[in-house]
Amino acid sequence: MAANDDQRDLDVFFEAARERTPVPSAALLARIAADADATQAGFGVRAHARRSSGRLRQFLDALGGWPAAAGLAAATLAGMWIGFDPPGDLEARARDALDLVQNPHVIDIMPGTGLDLIGEASL
Amino acid sequence: MPYDAMDELSDESLLVRYAGGDAVAARVLMARLAPRILAQATRRLGIRAEAEDVTQEAMLRLWKVAPRWEPGSARVSTWLYRVVANLCTDRQRRTRGVALSAVAEPVDPAAGVEERMQDDARAEALRAALARLPARQREAVELRHIDGLANPEIAEIMDTGIEAVESLIARGKRTLAADLSQRKDELGYTDGSQ
Repeated sequence: MAANDDQRDLDVFFEAARERTPVPSAALLARIAADADATQAGFGVRAHARRSSGRLRQFLDALGGWPAAAGLAAATLAGMWIGFDPPGDLEARARDALDLVQNPHVIDIMPGTGLDLIGEASL
Repeated sequence: MPYDAMDELSDESLLVRYAGGDAVAARVLMARLAPRILAQATRRLGIRAEAEDVTQEAMLRLWKVAPRWEPGSARVSTWLYRVVANLCTDRQRRTRGVALSAVAEPVDPAAGVEERMQDDARAEALRAALARLPARQREAVELRHIDGLANPEIAEIMDTGIEAVESLIARGKRTLAADLSQRKDELGYTDGSQ
């Protein structure tokens, strides 16, 4: 079994070779790590863009899509316009609206039943 | 996930985590893969500085491919070995030859002077004997007995079957044993038990 002995003896040589396997220096590892961070930063820009468009989409879906968002935008702009440049009789219109709230017109839908007296009875 | 826990993840899992923004995953991959790459490049090129350049370039290509890596398509180590082999081939073509001068090797401070000298002689003798082997036998023996890879992984790297790898290793070791036995007395062939 001389051949097998010789092959087993090879283990001593392989062990010597493994012990002499070069070890990466701290400087080399630092360069590799810097490359990893720089490359990963590029992933982050693209990932952030994807996340932002996702949030916008969720917001629009909550409103009811682009048409609803457009209507909301129009209403907002109208409110801003009225605030900056109100119509001349705005105050009179506001008073009329307030008066309706405080003194609602009663419509007797069932005359003779006394429904119009319910509010007074509760006082 | 802490560094220690990540050490149990596969290369591919770590690469996917890295692509997802995990910087720690990159550190674990680097610690695991950079030594193997440097060893492979050093064996091919023989010059430490050149081998370090190849190591950095190979790892950079791995970082860049991470977002496009298809899980299950290949082993990361296999992919890297081929990248390193191609980078080394390109460098050898440019420089037209390999410097076989001794590379600065780590020294075991616990070993005595005589033991270190004998280990140096054995390592050099093995390097010279490996260089005389056919290329495929040399590659198979190095991947198995110096890099410590299993035969299935070697088969994937060498793009061949496991039986073919076993045959290459067996033939390579027979030739090495016969080659080195001629220097038995000089190299202190055994581990000192005789």
